[in-house]
Amino acid sequence: MTQQADLARPAPPEMVIDALSAPFWAAARERRLELQRCQDCGLFIHLPRPVCRRCGSFRLEFEPVSGRGSVYSFTETRRVFHPFFADRVPYLLASIELAEQTDLRMLSNLVGIAEPDVRFGMPVEVTFEDLSADLTIPVFAPAGSLA
Amino acid sequence: MRGGRRVAIVGVGYSDAGRRTGLSERHHAAQAARAALADAGLESADIDGLTTWGGNPIDFAHMLGFSPLRWHLDVGISPAFISPAIHAAHAVASGQADVVVAMRVILQQPSRANLWAGGTGMAFDAQFQHPFGDLMPAQWAGLLTNRYLHESDATEEDFANFAVTQRGYAANNPEALLREPLTAEDYLAAPYISKPLRLLDCDYPCDSGAAVIFTTEQRARDLRQKPVFVEATALSAIHDMTFELLPDMVRTSPVHCLQELWSNTDLTAADLDCAQLYDGFSVITLQWLEALGVCEPGQAGPFVSSGGTSLTGALPTNTDGGACNVGRRHGANFCIEATRQLRGGQSGERQVADAEVALWANAVGPFTGAMLLTGS
Repeated sequence: MTQQADLARPAPPEMVIDALSAPFWAAARERRLELQRCQDCGLFIHLPRPVCRRCGSFRLEFEPVSGRGSVYSFTETRRVFHPFFADRVPYLLASIELAEQTDLRMLSNLVGIAEPDVRFGMPVEVTFEDLSADLTIPVFAPAGSLA
Repeated sequence: MRGGRRVAIVGVGYSDAGRRTGLSERHHAAQAARAALADAGLESADIDGLTTWGGNPIDFAHMLGFSPLRWHLDVGISPAFISPAIHAAHAVASGQADVVVAMRVILQQPSRANLWAGGTGMAFDAQFQHPFGDLMPAQWAGLLTNRYLHESDATEEDFANFAVTQRGYAANNPEALLREPLTAEDYLAAPYISKPLRLLDCDYPCDSGAAVIFTTEQRARDLRQKPVFVEATALSAIHDMTFELLPDMVRTSPVHCLQELWSNTDLTAADLDCAQLYDGFSVITLQWLEALGVCEPGQAGPFVSSGGTSLTGALPTNTDGGACNVGRRHGANFCIEATRQLRGGQSGERQVADAEVALWANAVGPFTGAMLLTGS
């Protein structure tokens, strides 16, 4: 999938969605967070892969997750590395530990909070942001802050 | 190295490195290789193996008159220069070749232009990074640095002192690209790139070529330089290339890499006279210092601030000034500096007295490598 540039706004960075990852992005488009899970041993796997690294099974399916987690680490980007993000700088990147499984991490953005207020380990919950007509990303906000 | 022939480093060389030199990969490769041959006192016909990250080993070999080769390896994304170096050393040890050149050729990347054109750099999973604005290594380094600051006793002032110490070494290195005096205030006044990572926590992009020649102990005895011996090597990979998803951002691949390294030698960290520890971002060197056990866990920041890495400290570290100052030679500088330190008398004002054992190590996070060198 490639986003088309329009005159008003630069397109997001080009990205290639493959057959393995398509269910993740399709679910996000419908404002659901779904991750790959091994149907034999139960391990959640992110990023999407063709095989379970714990048991070797190829029976992997996407399943909904709670969208709850905590902040493992975060950083505030101060530079414009791509024109799409020019009016977003500074913005927060974070490694989120999801509630479902120890060490199950997701790279995302923190929204609805300023950098000085972020705490390591603070609880967060998923919300969704439309980047373009056909791309929605799961992002995270402080738990309880979403109406 | 246990098993096989004993291996020595006999030649080292750089190209005319600098900011946007306008020279091609082949120029930098040719300059670096010729410099290493001259350093060793070898002829083109002596070379029978070549490996590189950057450019192509077969192309470089023919250009330089090394053909025919009986061993070659095109190294892809790896822990900087350590992979070509380790593979070259083991090719000699195993007898696949007798005189091998290992190279790292790297041009200053027009990073933003590359991204804007749709390039993905080193990202294997760009679709899970780029839409979130996660586009550059400085950003995963921001995540690692922040978690390190959270878990350790280090402060921003310790990071400032790290930059100042490195620049102090660089002032005594004519090959460093940045040599003017630096103060902690200068560091703290430099902008954040990805807070808490600052500009002066990042290596200095440049165009460069570096070459290191490995051969047998027997051949080394007849050459121009005092041989420096490869005592042990180790490679490690603990995760895929998504630094952002590392389950533990503080104790990463250096811990595993050094377990492997020390299992391959009777020497220990206490035997080190100097260490050359990757500094693509400041936090990387701090992780290596803690993995080495030269200070207690979480104490690398205070260790640096109290002079532990200085020339008179417990472990002189990054004595060429590091990639923050010599430029992004991508780890090759640490091999070359370790070699010069062990030859003795080739590191000028930054020479570690009577240096006999040196470690150089590359990369962090998912993957690393390390090589232990001795002077006799």
